[in-house]
Amino acid sequence: MTAPIPFTVIGGFLGAGKTTLLNQLLADTAGRRFAVLVNDFGALDIDGKLIAKHGGDTIALANGCVCCTIGDSLVETVLKLLDGPQRFDHIVVEASGVADPGRIADLGVLDERLVRDGVVVVVDAANVRERAADRRVGDTVLRQLQAADLIVLNKVDLAEDLAVLRCFLSTHATAPVLEGSHCAVPSDLLFGLDRRGASGKPSPANSFRSWSYSWPEPVDRAALLDVLQDATVLRGKGIVRFRDSPDRRSVVHQVGKRVDITDGGPWSDTDESQLVLLGVRPVLGSL
Amino acid sequence: MSTIVYAARRIVTMNPSQPFATHVAVRDGRILGAGSLDSLKGWGKFETDERFADKVILPGFVEGHSHAYEGGVWKFPYVGYFDRTSPEGKRSPGLKTLEEVVAALAAYEKTLPRDGSTLFAWGFDPIYFTGRRMELADLDKVSTERPVLVLHSNFHVLNANTPVFAKANITRHTNVHGIVKDARGEPTGELQENTAKFLAYRATGFDLAGVLSDEEATWRFARVAQLAGVTTATDLHNPLPDSTVEGYLKASASADFPIRLLPAFAGASVPTAQAIPRLKELMRKNNDKLRFQLVKLVTDGSIQGLSARMRWPGYYDGTPNGVWNVGPDELDRMVLDYHRAGFQVHIHTNGDEASEVAIEAVEKALATAPRWDHRHTLQHAQMADAGQFRRLKALGMCANLFANHLFYWGDIHYAKTLGPERAERMDACGTALSLGVPFAVHCDAPITPIGPLFSAWCAVNRLTASGRTLGEAEKIPVADALRAITLGAAYTLKLDEELGSIDVGKRADFAILDDDPLTVAPEKLKDVGVWGTVLGGKIFEAPRS
Ligand SMILES: [Zn+2]
Ligand SMILES: [Zn+2]
Repeated sequence: MTAPIPFTVIGGFLGAGKTTLLNQLLADTAGRRFAVLVNDFGALDIDGKLIAKHGGDTIALANGCVCCTIGDSLVETVLKLLDGPQRFDHIVVEASGVADPGRIADLGVLDERLVRDGVVVVVDAANVRERAADRRVGDTVLRQLQAADLIVLNKVDLAEDLAVLRCFLSTHATAPVLEGSHCAVPSDLLFGLDRRGASGKPSPANSFRSWSYSWPEPVDRAALLDVLQDATVLRGKGIVRFRDSPDRRSVVHQVGKRVDITDGGPWSDTDESQLVLLGVRPVLGSL
Repeated sequence: MSTIVYAARRIVTMNPSQPFATHVAVRDGRILGAGSLDSLKGWGKFETDERFADKVILPGFVEGHSHAYEGGVWKFPYVGYFDRTSPEGKRSPGLKTLEEVVAALAAYEKTLPRDGSTLFAWGFDPIYFTGRRMELADLDKVSTERPVLVLHSNFHVLNANTPVFAKANITRHTNVHGIVKDARGEPTGELQENTAKFLAYRATGFDLAGVLSDEEATWRFARVAQLAGVTTATDLHNPLPDSTVEGYLKASASADFPIRLLPAFAGASVPTAQAIPRLKELMRKNNDKLRFQLVKLVTDGSIQGLSARMRWPGYYDGTPNGVWNVGPDELDRMVLDYHRAGFQVHIHTNGDEASEVAIEAVEKALATAPRWDHRHTLQHAQMADAGQFRRLKALGMCANLFANHLFYWGDIHYAKTLGPERAERMDACGTALSLGVPFAVHCDAPITPIGPLFSAWCAVNRLTASGRTLGEAEKIPVADALRAITLGAAYTLKLDEELGSIDVGKRADFAILDDDPLTVAPEKLKDVGVWGTVLGGKIFEAPRS
């Protein structure tokens, strides 16, 4: 069986910058085929030259990606995609402005061809606090923040008081926060893009790094979780032999605050523990 | 061009210049006139038909808020708490305990072929049961081999048996919202959210949406409506895929199809820029019995489903505020787009915050694009207070109130969700009437059974299932309640010049009743028998159980 397809949900309030983020992703996919599910094509800014085929609720791009409108049922749109002839490396869903993206991410367990990746919530630095205090939508905004595995704090150039805003986010969310304007945050971090060697766009100011590890000896679970839960580690992926279950392969998958460890079958003698981390600065002295 | 004059014990016309008559003349499917036999003689040669001589004729009832799913679910056994009548006129008695439900399902299971196919039942309504909730083990008593799915009456919660959970691979480790787990972390058998329910449907290969909206379902819906005296009914939220439109076109083309059907396009299912041309295209297919013209938008959830958007002080029992389906900003934009395109928008609002947001969306649309006689309508508006009704009136809006809720959930609203004061003024027909807001009352079938006389009874008597009177001050007189299920409902659908009263030139759509709803005791209004209907001059007798 082929590896399951990561399923990422982009949440956030209307106008926060979800579409900007998706536009950037589609413009630079690091060679991966994305299926992007949106509520409305209208806002997407797809270069006409890139469009291979426009068929009603689907736009096929020359780079192998496809955009679909969600229509009445997200579940059905996702299943249709999985059952279709085309293969994708990653599925990204844009949640509606008032949706709880955590619920949508549940769809990642719907089918064994999918694996839940992260919930990325885009936050508008210019007005999130005002929105959160609004009696009609405040609870919706806070629910989204709580559901986030990773937060993109967008439009920081428009924020009046960034320090207060950071404090606000840390009281209402546990997810790590990436700051930027015009959603200029490394999509590699958000989507776990792997650009072995070849460099994509020059990294923006808050550049990130990746680290690869391998260990021949079994690893202590608590020590590894400590490292993963460090706020500066944003993504982790690997297969690890834990000291407490040395016969099994433990598959580690981390997006922001969320760490999933699943069983990956029996361990063979020759394998080594492998782990790749993406983060914003080196923190890994402890290993 | 034959003319038939029907004699009746009494004809209640809803026409203010001639409220009552004894005879109605019908030609070419339309009303040629009503009055005394003498007053109709001048129209030329006619035949008299005495079959309704001891009946009472009203304008055909108009159900302003129902869903054609009502027809789909009748393919499957009903296991609800209250008695309910099938499209064939067969009465399913209410099941009053968990044990009765399990026994009924087990008996039904024996009638199914031994092929492992899924047993699906609907209408399960445990809120009046005392004691524990339904568990896997209960439905395992029905079968340990066949998948068993039981959908609750709110259409939100699903129970299943162990074979379903095994096939769907739902275990204590499945981390999906809505899989209810017990204190030990084991799934109990109850599934509450869409994804959780979908896991079960998918594992059993059961296509609920498919069976609920095929052509046969449309026919069953029409029949069950006809049994209740309905001649015009809405299917008030449908994304209208080609297959459904096809079914509607086929069914409505048949001379035997017993109702006029108004599907409301699910306005948020596609971007408005796509929806508007599509709806205009669909309107070209309209015929006498099928009318595309309505748009429906859904703002919040339901009060009893704990998902209504409420203003302060919120849920009586402290439950957190509900969720938006379409939030304030998006609603503003969608209402404006449809409003500008000339459509009438029906907006589902259960909580009073949802009503407020919907009213303001219309207010803003009107400021941007003034338009007369739009009749944008709040659907349910269950918690709307007098201030909101005054705003509806000022803006030219209508309300279709969910009167049936008073009976089916009134006790729960009183004790848990709203508390006494707001429960007593919910579905405020009295306020709507006194302030002159055009209004209708509805059933929201299949949430509650279709039956305009029952809805009218609720508006008149405001009795809950336990017998409590919920808001003496909001009761309305029988005559006004009858108007709300005929001309009043027709007004909210912009059909009031075509049907809804018995008046020269209007469609010959009648409800034929065994008794006179204006002379029976008000508390007996719901028990007035429906003999059948007349639709465009064609007689549809209801099967008798
Ligand atoms: Zn509704
Ligand atoms: Zn409804």
